[in-house]
Amino acid sequence: MADGRTLPPALQDEALRIEAVAHEEGLDFFEVHFEMLDAKDVNAIAAYGGFPVRYPSWRFGMEFERMEKGRRYGLAKIYELVINNDPTVAYLVRTNSSVEQKLVMAHVFGHADFFKHNVWFTPTDRKMLDRMADHGTRLRSFIDEMGQDRVETFLDRALSLDTLVDPYLPLAGHLQKRRDEPRGPGGASGARSLDALLDAPSARAGPGRLPTYDVMGFLAERAPLAPWQREILRLVRAEAYYFAPQRMTRIMNEGWASYWHSRILTGGVLSASELVDFADCHSGATAAVPGQVNPYKLGIDLYRTAEARGMDLFRLRRVHNDASFVDALLDEEFAERSELFVYGRNGRTGRTEVLERSFPEVKEKLLQELAWGGLPRIELVEDDFEGRGELFLVHRHDGRDLELASAGETLKGIAELWGRPAHLVTVEEGQSRRLSSDGAQVKSNEAPSPGPAPKTEAG
Amino acid sequence: MFRIETDRARFREIVRGRLRADLRKYLSTTELLGRRGDRYVSIPVPQIELPRFHYGENKKGVGQGKGEKGEPLPGEPKEGEGAGSAGEEPGTHILEVEVELEELARMLGEELELPDVQPRGDRQLLSDGGRYNGVRPAGPQSLRHFRRTYKNALKRTIAAGEWDPARPKVVPIRDDQRYRARKSSPQPDSSAVIFHVMDVSGSMGREQKDIVRIKAFWIDTWLRSQYKNLEVVYVVHDAVAKVVDQESFFHLRESGGTKISSAYELVLALIQEKYRPEDWNVYPFHYSDGDNWSARDTERCIHLLRDEILPRVNQFCYGQVKSAYGSGQFKKDLDSALEGEERLVTASVNDREGIPEAIKAFLGKGR
Repeated sequence: MADGRTLPPALQDEALRIEAVAHEEGLDFFEVHFEMLDAKDVNAIAAYGGFPVRYPSWRFGMEFERMEKGRRYGLAKIYELVINNDPTVAYLVRTNSSVEQKLVMAHVFGHADFFKHNVWFTPTDRKMLDRMADHGTRLRSFIDEMGQDRVETFLDRALSLDTLVDPYLPLAGHLQKRRDEPRGPGGASGARSLDALLDAPSARAGPGRLPTYDVMGFLAERAPLAPWQREILRLVRAEAYYFAPQRMTRIMNEGWASYWHSRILTGGVLSASELVDFADCHSGATAAVPGQVNPYKLGIDLYRTAEARGMDLFRLRRVHNDASFVDALLDEEFAERSELFVYGRNGRTGRTEVLERSFPEVKEKLLQELAWGGLPRIELVEDDFEGRGELFLVHRHDGRDLELASAGETLKGIAELWGRPAHLVTVEEGQSRRLSSDGAQVKSNEAPSPGPAPKTEAG
Repeated sequence: MFRIETDRARFREIVRGRLRADLRKYLSTTELLGRRGDRYVSIPVPQIELPRFHYGENKKGVGQGKGEKGEPLPGEPKEGEGAGSAGEEPGTHILEVEVELEELARMLGEELELPDVQPRGDRQLLSDGGRYNGVRPAGPQSLRHFRRTYKNALKRTIAAGEWDPARPKVVPIRDDQRYRARKSSPQPDSSAVIFHVMDVSGSMGREQKDIVRIKAFWIDTWLRSQYKNLEVVYVVHDAVAKVVDQESFFHLRESGGTKISSAYELVLALIQEKYRPEDWNVYPFHYSDGDNWSARDTERCIHLLRDEILPRVNQFCYGQVKSAYGSGQFKKDLDSALEGEERLVTASVNDREGIPEAIKAFLGKGR
């Protein structure tokens, strides 16, 4: 049941009404807690990635500063914030108009259903609010013990590696576990704690084994760290795995929520006089930003296309991530209708311009962008490179070059954690390049060979 | 509920650390000019993100919208315009952070080891530091003092015997209303006026003016932190002097001869008419490349300074900016004729690197 304790009575009634419609339509979710806050406070929570109880870091302060600037200058407006948790928590902004609040609540039920049923979210911790609070407590006790500067420095280093996780790992482990152990009568809860999964030896290669994309897991397991450092690395990694599915399903998740807010609200929840305001607000959110792909719009269009083809939407939202969803549904006709194109930099003019509108290229490029949550794939292939105990990482290059200065600094952080040099092979403008760091300096050399032979790629 | 303010404070502390470390750089560039509001300077802070593996800017992507092959994306420069791409990677985002003027002045003070300004004499102006802590029976609704009003109404209701504990209704009437009022509390305060006087004769080029601009910016910043009321008067001169607004001061380009005395006469007249030393701390700053029209005019300047201006000001600063055409004679003349005058400070600036030292010479005496 929707819990609207902090909502004004009229809105609380609306929440219940909208929830009833959502249930009738077949949506299913954990209990949804609505809270109504000022825009500034919602920004503060958003700066913490949705968790007001999170550990302290200047980065959240910076994010807040940025969001507040956007809000004050009217460049950015936040309507709502939904947290994948049981109960699902949703923050509404007090200044939303009454039609906006209804739209947002319907939208929230869409997200809540998606969080509960999309398969990529099944391994996530549904008690993440509590978990984040625990992490905060741990970090604060380290700060008390060790001093802010030391903890902050290490935390920053850990956070700079938080993209080095294998987004497919938790689900692979989850499915493996399910196969291995038939559920007992009491074990019907399905999802297991992320830790158990990530540490399970059957999860892919398993932490500490090579090759792996789970560089964080490897370092947390094997790097020579003080206990407090190891714990920080572990908890940053756990949070990274919690957030990873959100990066992999942005189009699907926003599309699903938009599809449902539109369907629920135009299906009788709104009065005729509210429909124009609704249309205005809805079209604002799902408008095509010139030149950019809007996940809300692309998502809702894909679901509607699927609906027109008579496909089972509930099944789609359960089994796919953005990449597989687009792969399954995007055809030539859709690409043309949606005016999709490939852009790129014109070397002669230095401008970014429309390069290509033909279907295979557009689809291939879009899939490439969506695979791996939009991040470069960095694989750790060796931990005893040339017998000297050095780490060897390979960037699985797909045509997109890394920003080398930042990559060098990141690599330096890895070498520092590992206590021995680390190497990364990548490609820059068609030329293979090897970055090396001993934790203090970064060297960049042309690399004749791409390093150790690439292992089978997963995903 | 929110710890975000702690994290925000920590972020700002880090930014300030960077700023402090780079202050020398800011002291010799025009980067901060024009970024100053009344109380804040907004400072661009690049590269504070954590390093991460991310894509560089050569990347292609998928977009949505109209446009033929080869057509630039919205926001890209049109054909013929200069190239330059806004960074889209997290690492290249520039965030502007507002730093209080006072804070910036403090950093400047620390960096250059500037002493606080000692007020001239023991004269103190009293200013009205009023606060809304009084109460009165009339006023605008926006200042209504609810508690007092309610209290009065309650007292009246009870006194009139209309109080019913079972139905505790209190309706205030006109006489019950109370409003917050401003109560003035005199506080010691002082005002200052800065005269920025610049030679805009033909020999002062763009670079020379930039040096003057940067110096003027930091001097204003510092004195603003020292005085609550600071007025700035801009004067330009070639053969004649006139008062101009800030915009013209920094952009005007005149040409022709130089008669410095014209400027000194104007400053003196302004001090006598408007900024009397009994009420104001007076700081004239004069910037020139040191070429004066004639030795005779320089004589006149020395006389004006010694007998009229110096007795009326806290300090008179002459900054000589080196230019390709200037002889630099004026500073030599001042130094030799007015040697030992405590209230006169002269400094020469050869290039931007010399700015901090000149600022220090001007502000280092705490006058």
